[in-house]
Amino acid sequence: MGRNEVTADPVVDEPPISLYASSRPRWTGRRGTIASTVSTVVVIGLVIALLASPSAKPFREGFLNPHQMWIAFTGDPAKGILSVGKGFLLNVYLSVICEAVVLVLALGIAALRLSRGPVLLPLRGIAIAYTDFGRGVPVILVMLWVGFGVPSLNIPVISSQSPVVYAGFVLVFSYTAYVSEVYRAGILSVPANQTQAAKSLALPAGTTLRRVVLPQAIRNVLPALLNDFASLQKDTAIVSTLGVAEAVHSAQIAAGVEFNYSSFTVASLLFLALTVPLTRYTDRIMAKDRTRRLAGIPDTGGIT
Amino acid sequence: MSASPVLRASGVTKRFGDLEVLKGIDVELGAHQVVCLIGSSGSGKSTFLRCCNLLERIDGGSITFLDHDLSDPRIDENLVRRHVGMVFQSYNLFPHLSVLDNVTLAPRRVLKVSKDQAESEARDLLTRIGLGTKAAEFPDRLSGGQQQRVAIVRCLAMNPKLLLLDEITSALDPELVGEVLSLVGELADLGMTMLLATHEMGFARDVADQVCFLENGLIVESGTPEKIFGDPDQAATRRFLQRTLDQGGSG
Repeated sequence: MGRNEVTADPVVDEPPISLYASSRPRWTGRRGTIASTVSTVVVIGLVIALLASPSAKPFREGFLNPHQMWIAFTGDPAKGILSVGKGFLLNVYLSVICEAVVLVLALGIAALRLSRGPVLLPLRGIAIAYTDFGRGVPVILVMLWVGFGVPSLNIPVISSQSPVVYAGFVLVFSYTAYVSEVYRAGILSVPANQTQAAKSLALPAGTTLRRVVLPQAIRNVLPALLNDFASLQKDTAIVSTLGVAEAVHSAQIAAGVEFNYSSFTVASLLFLALTVPLTRYTDRIMAKDRTRRLAGIPDTGGIT
Repeated sequence: MSASPVLRASGVTKRFGDLEVLKGIDVELGAHQVVCLIGSSGSGKSTFLRCCNLLERIDGGSITFLDHDLSDPRIDENLVRRHVGMVFQSYNLFPHLSVLDNVTLAPRRVLKVSKDQAESEARDLLTRIGLGTKAAEFPDRLSGGQQQRVAIVRCLAMNPKLLLLDEITSALDPELVGEVLSLVGELADLGMTMLLATHEMGFARDVADQVCFLENGLIVESGTPEKIFGDPDQAATRRFLQRTLDQGGSG
């Protein structure tokens, strides 16, 4: 009451307030453009000066030697140097095939973990144990275990596969565990009332999962799925431990023969050429999703 | 009332853990009848509706739908739900599907109606409620009232013999309530058998053949709308209606 009367009064005693910033104005308009240009030029100049300086010569010679990079990229059969570029094709091939298999298998594991029937109880237990194991044991350990261990068992057919097959199996084994958890989180993120609406329309459980739950679940976890795909692309490098001539192993050979590590730079650039576009794409999807949510578009899934 | 009711509930009980939500509900719904359940939140209205299409299983008593005992374990829930439509408070449209696909999903996947036929029937229904031009839109482009009307049409596309409406205007902005209620009124005029839980007393008075007042999982009083709203026997009913009127009858 008293408060209202005070504010209703003309302001007499109150000191005037200032709404102007006490410091310099911010970098806006042309001032901002000039400032960013100058700072960019300065930073790039510093980096070039650093790389070009006489004391950086060992770095240039050892890591960025163009001649060595070319030899590593194309390979040199006379010296026994394998092509990093050719090897990298194997990395791409492995990651694409493995990812396709992982996406299917992981869905099965996720569906199994979320199943309810009493008959499936033991399978649920196995699925849980598997995801714990697959996510908890380092990929390189499983790679060594399978890649060197399985051939030593002398089991017909199984023990006589090429290292690429073992490598593919191990990548699928480890990544299915991760991706199944991503799927599971996605399925659980779909509001229960969506399932209820589907049920009340007499849709069978399978149709509900395929037509109602999964499309929404995958949209919710798409960034996480793409992240795991980028991760899988990188982890194809672990295949080098089995002596498979992929990019990293080929780079190692070149480095050993030439006593120069520019081959690793080549391999790194090749991996970056693949993963950077993918991660940028992921960022864009996430940003789009965020804008959509911030636009205040009502969530039909919300329950009050 | 016709000889054989569409739905007959007697002594229905339901508990969630220690909480007894329904303590013996008796309701009978003849063909083309509209029955309104009123009562404060938590009185058991929604739970009872959910028992009628087997989203919940009852613990005691019985519900018969067209002479079939729904508590029989051999009952196929999905066969029951083909004939019992349900509309929810929060619409629950499928956000990843267009309006048309929302409406045709169940006829195509459950009743195996061809795509062309399902779509032409869906377009007819949407046109009749004035949303023919929205067929290709996604639900999030529609107002709440439009979404709820699509949700009703989604049920109608299955040709249900009974429609359950669970507080379908409670999540709507006040100015959008009218369009949804008038659609329900039209359905009542067309002879749709409906059981609805509502906080809209004026609407219940207009459209219902019978009104049941629930409190704490029991039907305290039921009768014609004139009786319940005009001259209720029970003090509890009077108290509830008085409270609702004080709040402007909205909910």
